[in-house]
Amino acid sequence: MNSPEAVKPVITYDTSPAQYKHWSLACDGAIATLTLNINEDGGIKPGYKLKLNSYDLGVDMELHDALQRVRFEHPEVKTVIVTSGKDRIFCSGANIFMLGLSTHAWKVNFCKFTNETRNGIEDSSRYSGLKFLAACNGTTAGGGYELALACDEIILVDDRSSAVSLPEVPLLGVLPGTGGLTRVIDKRRVRRDHADIFCTLTEGIRSQRAKEWRLIDDYAKPQAFAEKVKARATELAAQSDRPADAKGIALTPLKRGIDEAGYHYETVDVTIDRAARRATLTVKAPAAAVQSKIDDIVAAGAAWWPLQMARELDDAILMLRTNDLDIGTWVLKTTGDATLALGADAVLDANRGHWFVRETIGMLRRTLARLDVTSRTLIALVERGSCFAGTLAELLFAADRGYMLALPDAPAEEGKVTLSAMNFGDYPMVNAQYRLAARFYGEEGPLGAVRAAIGQPQGADAALALGLVTATPDDLDWEDEIRIVLEERASLSPDALTGMEANLRFGPGETMETRVFGRLSAWQNWIFIRPNAVGEGGALKVFGSGNKAKFDWNRV
Amino acid sequence: MSIDYSQKIPNNVHLNDNKTLQRALEHWQPEFINWWQDMGPDGSQNFDVYLRTAVSVDPSGWAHFDHVKMPDYRWGIFLNPAEEGRKVNFGAHKGEAAWQEVPGEYRSNLRRLIVTQGDTEPASVEQQRHLGLTCPSLYDMRNLFQVNVEEGRHLWAMVYLLHAYFGRDGREEAEALLERRSGDADNPRILGAFNERTPDWLSFFMFTYFTDRDGKYQLCSLAESGFDPLARTCKFMLTEEAHHMFVGESGVGRVIQRTCDVMNQLKTDDVAKIRAQGVIDLPTIQRYLNFHFSVTMDLFGADVSSNAATFYTTGLKGRYEETKQTDDHLLNDASYGVLEVNDGKLVTIQAPYLNAINEKLRDDYVVDAKAGIERWNKIIQKAGIPFTLSAPHKAFNRKIGPLSAAKISPTGQVVSEGEWTHQHLHWLPSAEDRAFVASLMGRVAEPGKFANWIAPPARGINNQPVDFAYVRFN
Amino acid sequence: MNAAPATILRQHLIDPEICIRCNTCEETCPVDAISHDSRNYVIDAAKCKLCYNCISPCPTGAIDSWRNMPADRAYPIAEQLLWDSLPGQIALDQGGTTGAGTEVGAGNTAGETPADVAQIAAASTAGQGGTAPPPWSAAHPYVNLYGIHQPAVATVSGNFRLTAEDASSDIRHIVLDFGNASFPVLEGQTIGILPPGLDANGKPHHVRLYSVASPREGERPKYNNLSLTVKRVTEDHEGKAAHGIGSNYLCDLKKGDKVNVVGPYGTSFLMPNHPGSHLLMICTGTGSAPMRAMTERRRRKFSAGESLGKQMLFFGARSSGELPYFGPLTKLPKEFIDINFGFSRVPGEPKRYVQDLLRERGEDVARLLKDENTYVYICGLKGMEKGVEEAFTALCQANGLDWNSLRPQMLQQGRYHVETY
Repeated sequence: MNSPEAVKPVITYDTSPAQYKHWSLACDGAIATLTLNINEDGGIKPGYKLKLNSYDLGVDMELHDALQRVRFEHPEVKTVIVTSGKDRIFCSGANIFMLGLSTHAWKVNFCKFTNETRNGIEDSSRYSGLKFLAACNGTTAGGGYELALACDEIILVDDRSSAVSLPEVPLLGVLPGTGGLTRVIDKRRVRRDHADIFCTLTEGIRSQRAKEWRLIDDYAKPQAFAEKVKARATELAAQSDRPADAKGIALTPLKRGIDEAGYHYETVDVTIDRAARRATLTVKAPAAAVQSKIDDIVAAGAAWWPLQMARELDDAILMLRTNDLDIGTWVLKTTGDATLALGADAVLDANRGHWFVRETIGMLRRTLARLDVTSRTLIALVERGSCFAGTLAELLFAADRGYMLALPDAPAEEGKVTLSAMNFGDYPMVNAQYRLAARFYGEEGPLGAVRAAIGQPQGADAALALGLVTATPDDLDWEDEIRIVLEERASLSPDALTGMEANLRFGPGETMETRVFGRLSAWQNWIFIRPNAVGEGGALKVFGSGNKAKFDWNRV
Repeated sequence: MSIDYSQKIPNNVHLNDNKTLQRALEHWQPEFINWWQDMGPDGSQNFDVYLRTAVSVDPSGWAHFDHVKMPDYRWGIFLNPAEEGRKVNFGAHKGEAAWQEVPGEYRSNLRRLIVTQGDTEPASVEQQRHLGLTCPSLYDMRNLFQVNVEEGRHLWAMVYLLHAYFGRDGREEAEALLERRSGDADNPRILGAFNERTPDWLSFFMFTYFTDRDGKYQLCSLAESGFDPLARTCKFMLTEEAHHMFVGESGVGRVIQRTCDVMNQLKTDDVAKIRAQGVIDLPTIQRYLNFHFSVTMDLFGADVSSNAATFYTTGLKGRYEETKQTDDHLLNDASYGVLEVNDGKLVTIQAPYLNAINEKLRDDYVVDAKAGIERWNKIIQKAGIPFTLSAPHKAFNRKIGPLSAAKISPTGQVVSEGEWTHQHLHWLPSAEDRAFVASLMGRVAEPGKFANWIAPPARGINNQPVDFAYVRFN
Repeated sequence: MNAAPATILRQHLIDPEICIRCNTCEETCPVDAISHDSRNYVIDAAKCKLCYNCISPCPTGAIDSWRNMPADRAYPIAEQLLWDSLPGQIALDQGGTTGAGTEVGAGNTAGETPADVAQIAAASTAGQGGTAPPPWSAAHPYVNLYGIHQPAVATVSGNFRLTAEDASSDIRHIVLDFGNASFPVLEGQTIGILPPGLDANGKPHHVRLYSVASPREGERPKYNNLSLTVKRVTEDHEGKAAHGIGSNYLCDLKKGDKVNVVGPYGTSFLMPNHPGSHLLMICTGTGSAPMRAMTERRRRKFSAGESLGKQMLFFGARSSGELPYFGPLTKLPKEFIDINFGFSRVPGEPKRYVQDLLRERGEDVARLLKDENTYVYICGLKGMEKGVEEAFTALCQANGLDWNSLRPQMLQQGRYHVETY
């Protein structure tokens, strides 16, 4: 099937505070306030109004950008207050009419991105000391409550009408799409019978009972609300180790070229073969040694190779995911000088205590994690001139398969795989395991062997022996072997592949995030295409029409 | 080190320039020779055999006759010349340019087709490896060995495809072809029929007539493949397969001729008297025919098959003379008759044509096989003997597919278990029949001499006299 | 004269009794002359270009079937499709008209070269790399006038030993008289002898081929006879005792015995007839037969005073006593023929083979080779080819010629003929 999105104007994730339509970001010393005031007519696509602070992808792109700004441009911020600019409404979640109009693929991609953004909030809290406080100054429903759930704490206004709710099941016949069910129990530890009631209650739960059931942390009367929020924000800030006096760096706009061939950045290049339904992502090692002194690093800012590469790769992933749905296979390549790439790793490692380096590692971590949960086949190719070294080698371990060119007659010319300390814990996947540990199921034998190989370039035979690559065809076989692998893959059911890859990428061990991405998303995907949701009389279809949903009562 | 591959391995695939192939063959060729030494014709490695070797694909080059030792036979790699602008002629890809590379999508199915075909080639050499010890003449011994080396070459042809187009998997499969053994319970050949030892020369002739003809029909349908190298390889193999069928048809014909001669000399059709003269009576020949015909029927696979449908729809394996069929070559809505046992009777029901592709090939085969049986009957008629050989019903004695559940007579009547038990010795060779035929087998190895149970051929090979020394023992 | 009529077509057919309907020929035919129905495979005479592409791929030999037919009476496809067996050769009207013929028996009949004859012929010319055209001025040869089923019957009118009584080999000059039967031959042609009796399998013996040793007008002019040079075979090529069926039969013949003869055969190893044409002849043993025929033809003309080209003969044998026609040859005038003998088994003398003679006479041989009116004939045991070729190569090199390019050129022009056995 052709992707309708592919022929429509390309959607980008470019924005900046000056361009925001829906959010505003105000920084006051250690406290920043992110205020949601959605422009009803500012939908990213035509056909629906974003009433009652309901959001679409465009709103979430701004939230994502704002979070990035806080991380990099405002290192002095320790607590972010998330609140609403509208009266009596905090946020009513994803816009139902937008969902009704969207293709299934668009809905899923949208949910994935919002999930990643909410995970990013928790990630910054966990790793960067950036705390989040949801100041729910009005009705907090569905995706609105899920946004609040992503924050460290929730304070609800007690105005006798504002409630928190997850009305998806009773109202829409679907599930909350951004981790609501999971966070209610995994994160907030609401007792399951209470959660059961909560999740089937259209009008939600207010103040005292909400607090008793752990759905919120606190509540306050409207008059006392602002004060309470401020006080709590300040307390939270005290838990943060972000620097008070640091000066941020500017997140300059990405330099991205778009043409027929694909997307082109300085450190990342994407070429798309539409006929073969395949994209090749090539990540380039630094062209020269990266800045290694803190002052120079900060001065380089967004142009510092590790950050620039992470931002460009992140954007490339998002561009492909949003605009090129039918490009089902991504071939991951690297190129450049491994010593320089390893040099960059050494600088990251040595300066990890500095806020900017810490944020950069975080950006790399989230970007690589985004790759893990991408519903595309990932095939890494280690060839002549490849640079799968240290952080860049994570691309090889993120891939579903990695092929390495063997050159029995000229082993010196083989591309090499080289590990660095950064491969051992700095880039956990959403299951909280780093990729090599997950690859070897935490077994000490193979993990010890690869750890012992840190810093030593591994040729094809050695890489195969260490279990770092899948297969090592030699130069006679390479072209045909790879062609057939890619063609064969491209012929398989895209749905089955998505499911299979997601199952195999995440082995034993669950986290809240894996449950959100795995269990919740799987059920949601199923429910989203069932007639009870999207059929003629389906709940999502008839929402707002005054008609009652017609269900097929058979349990499946 | 440079080896002149075109000297050692006659070919038209630019072997001298193809490093991938060279590398694969460097490893495989010695293993093949080892296999030939172990599993090729028993005790024959030192004989000089008057063999036909293909040295090129043009008519002047592909039948080159000379005395050679079989291990020195120049097994070559030949594809029919490419047909300019050839298309996929059937299935969902109909009208697209024929594939010159394996489409990744169909790699495993194609590999399976090639491996299944390839496995039968060494299998039949293994099945027949003892026959040289009981040959009825040098002429027949030579024909046996010619069949054997050509089965070997067909193995090469399939291995070429695996080596050239399937990378490492292909190389592993090629090795596995040399590792399986006909009749080895732990490591058998893929198809059941190829795990039975060929016990005697009548069986050998029947096998080359009936079972190698299945090979012909399989090759014909693979020669229609959208994967052009497979199509071209199989086309060339067909020219060689024809020799095997010649051995079978003329071999059985000569057995019949000899029997008729003796019957006329004795003026009798008394089986005991005929057997006493050391020739094979016609009813026994009919029972052998029934057996080999029915075993071969099973080789075409299940009557209704989803695999066959897939192979067809995806353009991998066509029908016999696909391009001469006048339908749409898609067959989505077409149906085809297959047999079913219903209410104690065989009835023809309509199945989706795509699923009945095997049955269609089986039916085409039956027409061809019956025509040859008629030519045998001409020999009997000419001798003035009132006896007619006939092909059994295609549902007779089936071991595969739904028909295997029923007992069906050679004339196509569904019979009871009891009747089958009572009758089957009239229909299929009994242990006694086999023992009798076996008792006739003894080696005749003098030029121009023939065993008593078989008539000499009408012509020698390559215009050589019949008493030519087709095999020289050293 | 019983000339085959010019309108006779050698029609290519498929023997339906032998054919297994494998379709190989139909696949192979480049002009789609072959087609089939459910019964037979057939060849359209109007389309068949006689390219022979289908012959060797045929697994059965059924494709190698031929009938001489008046061109306007070739078997049509419709008729062939009905055949259960091949019709016999019809008797062609001797006058060459296309009148009604009658069938004269099945199988090998006159008009068709027997399979074993073709086989032997092919083997014997293998040394020159296939059949060469005859010299452009050669007379038209008649072939296949008598087949196995209707041989000509000749009477022995002479049988003389040519080699010395003490020589190890018994080589004989045998004269056959054809009485009233017409049996026209040219120098260089062969005839087939059918030894009487049956072989070990109870089947008739195969045809044995012998080169005619007499000129076209007969061993004795005006007599309807010809002569053969036959060596009694008592051992095989490896020197093991062997009893040659054909040669012993012939060598033992007495005057007045009847012999079944088939043929004649050969359309290539023929002599030029134009004035000024030279013959360069190289032979060993009984390979001298065609040389004797050609020399005798030329000698008679020479005696009649005709002006001729040069004759040069290289003749190898073990010794002079083993050399057939040694006496008569030595008596020929030097200005008629330049004879060079080489003996390999003369006690006390170095072995000399024909190739040594060729080298010795290199300059003269080269001069002849340079002349496009020179025709080369080589006949004898298989082993001699290699030495002769090497000698040619060497002597050409020494005299500014390139044998490698000259040879194919001569072959193509019908100027180089090899017959070895």
